[in-house]
Amino acid sequence: MFKRLFSFATVIFGVLLLTFLLIHLVPGDPVEVMLGESASTADRMALREDLGLNQPVIQQFGTYLSKLSHGDFGQSIHTKTPITEMIRMRYPATLKLAVLSLLIGLCVGIPLGIYAALKANRWQDLLVTLVSVRLSAMPAFWLGPMLMLIFAVWLGWLPVSGMESGASIILPALTLGFGLSAILTRMTRTSLLEVLNDDYIRTARAKGLAERTVILRHALRAALLPIITIVGLQMGSLLAGTVITETIFSWDGIGRLLVESIEKRDYPVTQACVLVVALSYVLVNLVTDMLYRFVDPRVKFAA
Amino acid sequence: MKKIAILILLFWVSAVLLGRAFGLHGNHIDLNAILATPGIQHWLGADDLGRDILARILTGVQVSFAVAIIVTLVTMITGVLIGLIAGFYGGKVDRILMQITDVFLAFPGILLAIAFAAVLGPGLINLMIALSITGWVSYARLTRGQALGLRNHQHVLAAESLGATVPRIIFRHILPLLASILMVEATYSLASVMIAEASLSFLGLGIQAPDASWGAMLRDGVRYMLVAPHYVLIVGLSLMSLILAINLGGDYLRDKLDVRTEK
Repeated sequence: MFKRLFSFATVIFGVLLLTFLLIHLVPGDPVEVMLGESASTADRMALREDLGLNQPVIQQFGTYLSKLSHGDFGQSIHTKTPITEMIRMRYPATLKLAVLSLLIGLCVGIPLGIYAALKANRWQDLLVTLVSVRLSAMPAFWLGPMLMLIFAVWLGWLPVSGMESGASIILPALTLGFGLSAILTRMTRTSLLEVLNDDYIRTARAKGLAERTVILRHALRAALLPIITIVGLQMGSLLAGTVITETIFSWDGIGRLLVESIEKRDYPVTQACVLVVALSYVLVNLVTDMLYRFVDPRVKFAA
Repeated sequence: MKKIAILILLFWVSAVLLGRAFGLHGNHIDLNAILATPGIQHWLGADDLGRDILARILTGVQVSFAVAIIVTLVTMITGVLIGLIAGFYGGKVDRILMQITDVFLAFPGILLAIAFAAVLGPGLINLMIALSITGWVSYARLTRGQALGLRNHQHVLAAESLGATVPRIIFRHILPLLASILMVEATYSLASVMIAEASLSFLGLGIQAPDASWGAMLRDGVRYMLVAPHYVLIVGLSLMSLILAINLGGDYLRDKLDVRTEK
């Protein structure tokens, strides 16, 4: 348990270090890249001072960490807005999108997986498996435009992009949720099929329980365990997917903030966005890990 | 399934070769054909600057394939070396190296590649650097796991007791046994590098205008979706067919070589 937490702590430290170093990877002088060649010497000096770039690197890292511990990400070099404020404004939109996608993934993936498992090796199963295997390989920047083309342009059912109406969230959430639902379909099918051959399922059937009860109450409960891990792992690609999906659908979340900051060469904002997304992912994984150990008594904490 | 994959790949290869033979040039501008729909003049239509979409798709796929092959090679060599060292030596070396891969894995998906591409600045070389810096991790993990298992096999112990040097053991006695697993992994990573390259180009961080790239074409296609829906559709279908073919090829290799890996 403590070993586990310790390893998470080192990972977080590594993430902080790597994100901190990002700005030092800018070829040439980062201040010049950010401000452009026409900036005055005074402006450059001021920004260099602001970002602490005139201090030794170790000291810079120390300052970076101590500021972060107070929730201070610095400020945008263009608008001078505190980055913490910008992230607080944008994060809820991303969270909303991610949670809805997760729900779509679960609500589509698990029932479809059960269906495929019950029809194992018949054409329904083969069709579901084929579609979920092949389409889950397609990236968000492909699926997003295709969904937009079909549902917004051709059928005109949903808004193309933006955040004005409540329906705006549907297409981006589908784009993100699709891959997850495909993976969950496969996982549910496989793990349900494994469980269905177990003795206790035969016992349940022999007791004369309805097939529905056997599947939903007995089999699914055991089969759902590996799914928790998959959901945790998939949250990663979900979070990374938000960067592209939010850009496609003009969804004002943290992913779009990241892309905008890159376009404006506002590196402190870029750094902060990368850090926030990565830390969210690490946290989700920690929670998944805990949850898994909590739900499945067979997994020992010491293992 | 195998036949479908081969057919699709053959189609793309011959299309590229024919395009070259007929001197199709992706940057030729025809101002009368701006956002033209498919027709005799432009088989697949033209983009927002009046450039032939077919020609741009065929030049784009060459760049993207070249990037995929180079990045796959670089990441495979680095990743495999690191994995072999971690798996062979074990102990402290292994712990430190795996801790580093853990940090890289803590960044979800292509986020780290986006970050690197952002600070390095756009462009083909920087794109490849960004994808290479982040891509070696999966190879390192895979190789390390396998090498750890092979480390105590009798033939390795025998070679060791006969006084074989470490590089000899690693390259002659361990690496050859990993060849098939790595080949399958490399096929899948070709597809995923192509996707990553297109994602970065989609965000404007990869291949730069006027060079053609599928990612950038998709982005332009989205921009002109309302007036010229064929643009985004054609690029989208091309991308789908190619990714599908490569993944089918990977599945075929995996079954054929009977490799079981956990993804």
